[in-house]
Amino acid sequence: METYVPPLSMSQNLAKLAQRIDFDQSSDSDEEGPERESREPWSKPELEEDEGTVKFQPSLWPWDSVRNNLRSSLTEMCVLHDVLSVLKEKKYMALDPVSQDPAMTKTPQVFQLISKKKSLATAAQLLLKGAEKLTKSLAENQEQRRQRDFNSELLRLRSQWKLRKVGDKILGDLSYRSAGSLFPHHGTFEVIKNTDIDLDKKIPDDYCPLDVQIPSDLEGSAYIKVSIQKQSPDIGDLGTVNLFRRQPKAKPGSQMWHLKLEAAQNVLLCKEIFAQLSREAVQIKSQIPHIVVKNQIISQPFPGLQLSISLCHSTGEKKNQRASPDKSKPDDHLYVLEHNLHQLIREFHKQTLSSVVMPHPASAPFGHKRLRLAGPMAYDKAEISSLQQSEGLLEKIIKQAKHIFLRSRTARTIDSLASRVEDPQIQAHWSNINDVYESSVKVLITSQGYEQICKSIQLQLNIGVEQIRVVHRDGRVITLSHQEQELQDFLLSQMSQHQVHAVQQLAKVMGWHVLSFSNHVGLGPIESIGNASAITVASSNGEYAISVRNGPESGCKVLVQFPRSQAKELPRSDVVQDGKWIHLRGPYKEVHWGRMEGRNFVYKMELLMAALTPCP
Amino acid sequence: MGVTCVCQVPVAEGKSVQQTVDMLQKKLEQLGAIKQGNFWVDCETYHATGNATGQPSKLLYVMHNSETPLSCMALFEGGPGLAADANFDVLMVKLKSHFQNAKGHKVESRGTRYRYCDFLVKIGTVAMSSSARGISVEVEYCACVIPGDCWNLMKEFMQSFLGSNTPELPAAFTNKAEGLYSPVDCMDTMSQYLELFSKVRKQQVLPGSGVR
Repeated sequence: METYVPPLSMSQNLAKLAQRIDFDQSSDSDEEGPERESREPWSKPELEEDEGTVKFQPSLWPWDSVRNNLRSSLTEMCVLHDVLSVLKEKKYMALDPVSQDPAMTKTPQVFQLISKKKSLATAAQLLLKGAEKLTKSLAENQEQRRQRDFNSELLRLRSQWKLRKVGDKILGDLSYRSAGSLFPHHGTFEVIKNTDIDLDKKIPDDYCPLDVQIPSDLEGSAYIKVSIQKQSPDIGDLGTVNLFRRQPKAKPGSQMWHLKLEAAQNVLLCKEIFAQLSREAVQIKSQIPHIVVKNQIISQPFPGLQLSISLCHSTGEKKNQRASPDKSKPDDHLYVLEHNLHQLIREFHKQTLSSVVMPHPASAPFGHKRLRLAGPMAYDKAEISSLQQSEGLLEKIIKQAKHIFLRSRTARTIDSLASRVEDPQIQAHWSNINDVYESSVKVLITSQGYEQICKSIQLQLNIGVEQIRVVHRDGRVITLSHQEQELQDFLLSQMSQHQVHAVQQLAKVMGWHVLSFSNHVGLGPIESIGNASAITVASSNGEYAISVRNGPESGCKVLVQFPRSQAKELPRSDVVQDGKWIHLRGPYKEVHWGRMEGRNFVYKMELLMAALTPCP
Repeated sequence: MGVTCVCQVPVAEGKSVQQTVDMLQKKLEQLGAIKQGNFWVDCETYHATGNATGQPSKLLYVMHNSETPLSCMALFEGGPGLAADANFDVLMVKLKSHFQNAKGHKVESRGTRYRYCDFLVKIGTVAMSSSARGISVEVEYCACVIPGDCWNLMKEFMQSFLGSNTPELPAAFTNKAEGLYSPVDCMDTMSQYLELFSKVRKQQVLPGSGVR
């Protein structure tokens, strides 16, 4: 039994403290006190009580209470000492146990047992009741927590996905219809409660009280593969389903249902893209028809080239053995175009929801809102076509693929030429900013060491969808087709022209005079690529002249004209008799250009010019 | 949308409608025009019912033109006209009680469309219940919308291949309140076609089978 003792009130506390006050204030009693106390410890309290009623002195110094306490403790200690000495010595006093009545001990044993049992039983009952209450409350807590877990998960699900309650089922929508898609798939998923697990057993790590059931045709994961290959020789190869194994990366902390729903939504989007592409492939008439086989669309952007767009959907159950051929060509997949397809379909979705289209009257079809005026305003065909979307998804993606291919082939051509030909050098500066349908590159043809002097050949190439437009520094605009041979020939002809231009610039620097210059000479052997160019320069004092003819195929030919005085055999003539004619320039001599010293053409030319300029 | 002139070319002596059309087409091609597909213009007649007095019921003509494929034009002869959406046909079906379709009176003109720089020339065979009744020629000058400014040019052009069959200034332009210098409308073209179709309809009443 516990009793609750209330704390003492203020007055009670004061009384208690007052009782402790030592009223024996005399100083001599302080010194003799301990001795007297040891003799008569028990008479002391009586004396104190008597004196307490006579005198009342407040404490005169702060250590008063301390002294009192010490004195009382000393008293106690003396008493204890006495008791212990009595116990030990047994000389003057002895302890005697209390005698027990033997008759009382017989019957109470049974009673004691019974009473003990009873008291224990009541205590046990109390404890059991308390324990029962605790377990009940614990079980309730756990059940509530389970329910709360499901609800909190549902809340989280609802914050990211659209849900609605139909009867007693919770359904959701994972389609893009609210974002503007017109795909007829329902995209409904069901939310399932997963709370009937045994709490006593260990809860698995990926346990989630909520589970989603997605439509069976959206299971697994999918992607659209766009690739450009050389045209396959046999049509029988078409229609092979390319499966894959690209594991979706799981973000840490995302729930199972989130991954499942995202994957299903992606599958739906890929299906929509592919359905749109195949519909357009069948409907739109083009020069070379597109082939739609199973899950592939094949079209021909350029002759000899094949663009294949395929929908790769794996349900994730069994890995197909035929997926191994995919491993050999991992670079085949143009990820850029896949991304662009996703972007284009999303743009298409946005257009159906844009303010130009929505809101619309119930009887009007989907389309630009100006088209509703086409009837009353009697728009003719030109105006109508300007309002309607002219290009479909397939056309756009084919144009993009064409551009990508043309750009990579141009780069390859320029690079191979640059690595093959060392003199003159080709530099290509590609622009960082380009369009899906257009890129540009600046090509400079220079000679090593003479970049500042000989920089007359600078070409700007604008690579479009099917053609390359070349803008020359001198203002000419040339359109090249997609054939890489054309570009190569053009660059080779420009390189040969560059050498002759370089001689012209060099002559200016060296002080030589340009006597004649022609970009396209009509004499000499015919070149198959472009035309040969020629230049004639004379030294500053007029004694020597250098003639250069350079062609893309025929190479360069350099001739030097010497003054007549240096010629070994001069043809004798009756007409030219005077001695002054000796100073004119005479016959030509060819230079063995291959044996000239110098690492490139311009350097050699500079050395030649320097050699022919006499020292002052 | 440009200034349009519709005229009827009489069938050449001793030749059939088709032969005359071929002759005209050859002339145009020699001129340098490029063929650009086909065209058609049709006209349906509706009687207005519910007229108590003995007045002849007003005739409503509903016309379509392949140049404006999403539109439908409705006009009364010499009276007001309206251009509407293609759903107007459906509306006429709903108004069956007020306007009855005279099924035998459907006239249409079908033929080829030629383009010669800024000119669009359409040579068509006017047919009523699948019997050819005449030839219609429509010349459109796309660069101008004011008939007064370009009539002389159009006349000269028409003379080059139509010869003596060149028409005078159409009444549709002169009858306008503002005269020749107001911009054209698609209704002007349609009213010219209507005039031609009515002429053709009246023409063939005497010879041949009067199909009603």
